[in-house]
Amino acid sequence: MSETPNMASLLRTVEKPGRYIGGEYHQIIKDKSAVRCRFAFCFPDTYEIGMSNLGVRILYDVLNREEDIWCERVYAPWQDMRERMAEYHVPLTALESGDPVQDFDLVAFSLQYELCYTTALQMIRLSNLPLWAKDRTEDCPIIIGGGPCVYNSEPIADFFDLINIGEGEEVLLEIARLYMQMKQEGRYTRREFLHEAARTVEGVYVPSFYDVTYNEDGTIRAYTPLYDDIPTKIRKRIVKDLDAVPFPEKPILPYIETVHDRITLEVYRGCIRGCRFCQAGMVYRPIREKSPDTLCKNAKCLYENTGYDEISLISLSISDYSRLPELVDRLLDWTNDAHVSLSLPSLRIDSFSEELMKKTSAVRTGGITFAPEAGTQRLRDVINKNVTEEDLMRSVGIAFRGGKSNVKLYFMDGLPTETDEDILGIAELAKRVVGVYFKLSKPERPHGVGVTVSVSCFVPKPFTPFQWEKQDSFAELERKQALLKTAMTDKHVRYTYHDAKVSAIEAVFARGDRRLAPALALLVEEGAMLEAWEEYFDYDRFMDAFRRTGVDPDFYTTRGFGTDEVLPWDMIDIGVSKAFLLRERKRAYEEVTTPSCAESCSGCGANRLGGNNRWCK
Amino acid sequence: MVQVNRQPASNQPINLRFRFQKLGRLMYISHLDLVRTFSKIVIRSGLPLWFTEGFNPKPKMVFSPPLSIGVESKTEFLDLRLTERVDPAVALAAMGRNVTDELAMLEAYYPTHKLSDIRYLSYDIRIHTTGASQALAEACESSLLADHVPYLKKGKKGAPDTTIDLRPGIAQLSVCYEDGDLHMTAMLDADPCSFLNPDRLITVLKQTQGILSDPDLTREHVRILRKQALLADRTVFR
Ligand code: SF4
Repeated sequence: MSETPNMASLLRTVEKPGRYIGGEYHQIIKDKSAVRCRFAFCFPDTYEIGMSNLGVRILYDVLNREEDIWCERVYAPWQDMRERMAEYHVPLTALESGDPVQDFDLVAFSLQYELCYTTALQMIRLSNLPLWAKDRTEDCPIIIGGGPCVYNSEPIADFFDLINIGEGEEVLLEIARLYMQMKQEGRYTRREFLHEAARTVEGVYVPSFYDVTYNEDGTIRAYTPLYDDIPTKIRKRIVKDLDAVPFPEKPILPYIETVHDRITLEVYRGCIRGCRFCQAGMVYRPIREKSPDTLCKNAKCLYENTGYDEISLISLSISDYSRLPELVDRLLDWTNDAHVSLSLPSLRIDSFSEELMKKTSAVRTGGITFAPEAGTQRLRDVINKNVTEEDLMRSVGIAFRGGKSNVKLYFMDGLPTETDEDILGIAELAKRVVGVYFKLSKPERPHGVGVTVSVSCFVPKPFTPFQWEKQDSFAELERKQALLKTAMTDKHVRYTYHDAKVSAIEAVFARGDRRLAPALALLVEEGAMLEAWEEYFDYDRFMDAFRRTGVDPDFYTTRGFGTDEVLPWDMIDIGVSKAFLLRERKRAYEEVTTPSCAESCSGCGANRLGGNNRWCK
Repeated sequence: MVQVNRQPASNQPINLRFRFQKLGRLMYISHLDLVRTFSKIVIRSGLPLWFTEGFNPKPKMVFSPPLSIGVESKTEFLDLRLTERVDPAVALAAMGRNVTDELAMLEAYYPTHKLSDIRYLSYDIRIHTTGASQALAEACESSLLADHVPYLKKGKKGAPDTTIDLRPGIAQLSVCYEDGDLHMTAMLDADPCSFLNPDRLITVLKQTQGILSDPDLTREHVRILRKQALLADRTVFR
């Protein structure tokens, strides 16, 4: 086809070639000789997953609004494509220009889940770039990490030149501007640039500028900055006013089906709740809402520019949006006539109403999902879920009467203070949900009922009140899963649970430090990739890599961390204070709940970051 | 932009036909994905769409016979139901603004023939293969114009393989040697019951003439381009 093979010449022999072609409507093409900074935005998963990510869509738009920056997309090749690329020595390329990633100036990765680490690192290798940051030379791009995982980026810190802590809209632009300025003034070297970024751009963490020392027992002694003009603690960046921030009016429209193939309307960031296991609820604080005016404008504009027939309202817990009824009514003013449906995927149990269900497309599909998270009131109080059994029974009653026959309930096992009684409580709760159905008279309820109980394993995440907790051992998690299985006797209840092995590996990387890097490098050298996919997740390979690099995974999981210990993520300041997390931990053990920000401010510390909201004191 | 689409009182839909191309990278987009893509394009066009009735109303679209993955086309048709008459030039521009060049809208008009009147489809096939020569071109042509062109059809889900004859589906065919490539033109049956996919001709030639057998994927390639749709009397369909 051509002298130098590129990915296109290999497309005929791979599954879903549409993943690799680009050329979609609204894709941004620029004249590469006319831009000063080429930015490759990499998503370490398949096209279908990556194209659905709202964060990437926002940053692609923000960067491409700048005339002198061209931001392109890069996704992970599936195994078949990767084999072809290896066979023909084809490097990883960006979709827009088809140019190799290694030719770009800045290469950013969005790290959404720990199991994508092998994929991100493999993508660096497929780009023919040195895996370790220390091995990169002056002509290599600067490799940037961002996304929710980097609140503890230590396991991957040695592979990234720079980490973006917090929301990227402003930080990435400032980084790109600094890069272009230093290049233009002829004073760019990698080290100078990284130093200046660390010194002047808030929210920039350059791991190689922080030296880590360890105590004899293996815990961390200290993080020491190598320069005295860079921060000892890196503060998270947030966008203060979401109404003022640019929003992607013309999202790229994929030809092939993606995971969330619809309009996604970001309603607010942050969360007023304080579920004690939830990392998102803490790291995205403080809450910042968009106004209904902005959202209605956004929705109409997206409808006209995309032609989608579904609008999904996105946030951590949509019913906590302070002006939800107003927003829904104003959207319904035109969406029904235009045959556009509304979906509210994150409804809380205590705010589910008949009115909302009727108005939104929750009705059109046969099922609905609720997340009680724990089987007894005691444990729900420990985790600060703040929903009662009455709330749940009332909500499923509404759902059944509204014609829903399938109810899905999410739980977690392995939570702190959990006993067998709490586990068995899950089965009891499911039974009582079925009971609600049978108490309704035949004309009141849909034909047939199915309750699905889905149980995942607790992972003690950084920056939560449970960050010091130990994770149940793998054997204990399996015992609990088996115990629950024997209690699930109701034939209307289906029980599914997550693989405890996956949670154990997630916990190692969520809580890990820099001593995990050699294990990751080994995994990647031996071909690991797409480990977030069941077919490629290999527990034994992880354990083997740990063993060969001298890592004891239990050190990070079943050991638990001391409250006086230096944590791997202690040099990051997310706004929420350690004192607050400790207070919350104490209340958890006292089985006392904490009110939401809407009821009263608990002084978490996130107010220090600023941001427009009505609650922070 | 025309206003948000609304369903008016009139319920007699009007059928407007678009001819479009599907070129380049879009050969890798399946028919199903193409349909999903168009369901958004027609909304963005702002044309007065007629929606299907029932629980989940959708714009009504009918397409000419699907292209298989890897085949490009200069002649695809979309019949779109509208609630009112629109100037075809206006409609063409409204749709054209909402597609990339590879999917360019070529014509819009109120049709006389039904899409089901399409009887044949013609293709232009360029085969870049090692060993291409005048003699190979002749051999390829005569093997496809023989009395029988046996093709082994793999049985689905454990059903036994069957041999079918492709010859009745080949209405016209020629192969010549041109600029180092084999150049085939073919008019093939497009009736839904006896539709002949041009891919199958290539498969037969691979087996009988040994074309495209280089293990290096980057050295050889085939471009199949659908050129025209034809009526039973072999005049051009529009
Ligand atoms: S400062 Fe108060 S209101 Fe603001 S996020 Fe923290 S607890 Fe909530």
